[in-house]
Amino acid sequence: MFASKNFKVSFLFVLIGLISLYFADLEITTIDATSLSQDFFFSIFSMEFNNYSVLLEAFLRTISIAVLAIFFSIIFGAILSLFFNSLLVRISLAFTRSIHELFWALIFLQIFGLNTLTALLAIVIPYSATLAKVYAEILQENDTFTDTLRGKDKLSYFIYTKIPDALPHLISYTRYRFECALRSTAILGFVGITTLGYYLSSSFMQGLYHEVWLILIVFYVIVASIKKWFNKYTFIPLVIASFLYLDDFSGFNLANLKRFFTQDIIPYPIKNDLGLQSTISWFEKIFVNEILPGATNTLVLTQLSLLLTAILTLILFPLVSSKFTNKPTKISAHIFLVVLRSTPEYILAYIFLQLFGPSMLPAALALMLHNGSIISHLIGHDTDAMKLRIDVTKRKTELYFYEVLPRIYGQFLAFLFYRWEIIMRESAILGVLGITTLGFYIDSAIEDFRLDKMFLLLLVTAFLNILVDVISKKAREYLRATKHISACDLRQNK
Amino acid sequence: MAFSLNNESISYNDQIILHSLSFNIKRGESVALLGKSGSGKSTLIKKLYESRKEESSYIPQELSLVENLSVYNNIYVAKLDEFSTIHNLINLVKPAKKDVDSVTSIIKQLELEDKLLQKVHDLSGGQKQRVAISRAIYEDKSILLADEPISALDEYLSSIVTRTLKKNFETIVCALHNVEVATKNFERVIGLKNSKIIIDKKCSDLNADDIQKLYYVCE
Repeated sequence: MFASKNFKVSFLFVLIGLISLYFADLEITTIDATSLSQDFFFSIFSMEFNNYSVLLEAFLRTISIAVLAIFFSIIFGAILSLFFNSLLVRISLAFTRSIHELFWALIFLQIFGLNTLTALLAIVIPYSATLAKVYAEILQENDTFTDTLRGKDKLSYFIYTKIPDALPHLISYTRYRFECALRSTAILGFVGITTLGYYLSSSFMQGLYHEVWLILIVFYVIVASIKKWFNKYTFIPLVIASFLYLDDFSGFNLANLKRFFTQDIIPYPIKNDLGLQSTISWFEKIFVNEILPGATNTLVLTQLSLLLTAILTLILFPLVSSKFTNKPTKISAHIFLVVLRSTPEYILAYIFLQLFGPSMLPAALALMLHNGSIISHLIGHDTDAMKLRIDVTKRKTELYFYEVLPRIYGQFLAFLFYRWEIIMRESAILGVLGITTLGFYIDSAIEDFRLDKMFLLLLVTAFLNILVDVISKKAREYLRATKHISACDLRQNK
Repeated sequence: MAFSLNNESISYNDQIILHSLSFNIKRGESVALLGKSGSGKSTLIKKLYESRKEESSYIPQELSLVENLSVYNNIYVAKLDEFSTIHNLINLVKPAKKDVDSVTSIIKQLELEDKLLQKVHDLSGGQKQRVAISRAIYEDKSILLADEPISALDEYLSSIVTRTLKKNFETIVCALHNVEVATKNFERVIGLKNSKIIIDKKCSDLNADDIQKLYYVCE
């Protein structure tokens, strides 16, 4: 067993996780974290909001932006998925995807300002790329019609032989993606767009915890009831209503866009013709002072969070598995997991940051809780379907280690590897909250209006992400966890 | 002549799996291709289809049905290239009576008429095979190349299906692994083993020794 591939890979990642733990700064810096936490958690019993019409508007705005963003993403994603065979398309989409929506928002803020257009673009660009990839995979996976029989009328064959079997999966994944879009739109508030995150952070800063709870709980209800109000009957009316509600899409500025690409992001020494020497020293300075520490911290946070996610999953999944728990426990654990995964990591990290002060601890906790709850849910679901023999041991510990864990371990690793890239993307973005990962340096570069540096740092972030994606794919191949999980299993079947 | 192979080698994934094959199949013949799985039957059937694509219908072993489409639409797929794209799109919403009638007349022969509007994923393995066969018949070609098309059917349905196929196709080449079904329903058998033809005879000429050979081929 100790020589198995699963063991070797796990050992390596635990080792890297422990080394990261050694280097990670996990200090609690708030003066009285315990009483602050108590204040925060007990305010759940006195939920209220001082101005409900503002709150309503924030919710409507968040939902409308998410609806329109998914609408455009579906269109672009569907078109791009048809060209997914082209290497150029695949590479550009991988690049587009690897930049977090909050980074996109920060970029468009510089170009178009603080408006709906910026919010929409920030979501539509990375989401179209993700949808294109997953749509292409779904279409390919559900194609049972042999090419030998395919005729000349490409469109008719596409509609008759590819769409019918893929459609349920396409719809279900799109719905999952809409749930993500709601979360993403909510956190756009943290950069100033007046969606939920905006009010959440301002209530938090003023210590109005009862408002924070109200926003969070209404958000959970909205996410949990998505199926009821976002379906094939309501989709078109929702899109039209969102168009009418958001109303103002102005702000497009060609001159700014042009300036951004032809001047702002061009390295300062190149733009001013200062010669090779100063270009190199420009790069060297950024590399030593920002790229190196930023990338190291991003990796440390990623690997630590991955290890913590794995540990949490191994502890949590039995709670949502009928093999280990009775119904009441399973239901309450399930609700707990739904709440955890409905909370955007960014908001979790923000809350912990307020409670524990700036270090890697809030970010690591947030990433662990969010990702751990997602994987626990999926693994728990898998174990429910597992058929064990009738005379299997009744002792839970033996059942866990001898029957269940060996069976799901491969799948567990595959899920972790799939989330790895996502954890990395989040680790980078959490820098915006003040943790010195790449996002921190990107945010500071924007604040200083040094967009050339920002662009370089974004490239590094994207590169790291693509690298992790490639290693993750190789690792899954090595472990033969070839079962496709990116598309269908992660739509979080509720 | 429908097919004429003269000392040909057939490869799959760049590997030669059938060496220097020679045989003729005349128009009007019905030939059963016998051999165990992996003997190269499927590759040979596909190869024959590709050499006469315009005149032939092909039923692959995995059937190539679209699970979420109705039986009717799965059969209609055979003529997608014959109709305009517009006609094909309208057919998904409201099929023309003429098309429905011609599909119905085919599935009636295969005792499947009550399944016309059912989705394929609700059907049994044998019913799915008959849908794939109906699709091939609807294509209205003279040659049929089929890879194990009746493996899930009982004796009664096998004979109905082969009779229907003979009525609808001039020439039939069918990969099988069941000796009785082959000798009972086809005029000629070709047995493949170790990438060679071991036996090639008219069923009416088979003696006990030949039958023994055929069982050996399918082992």
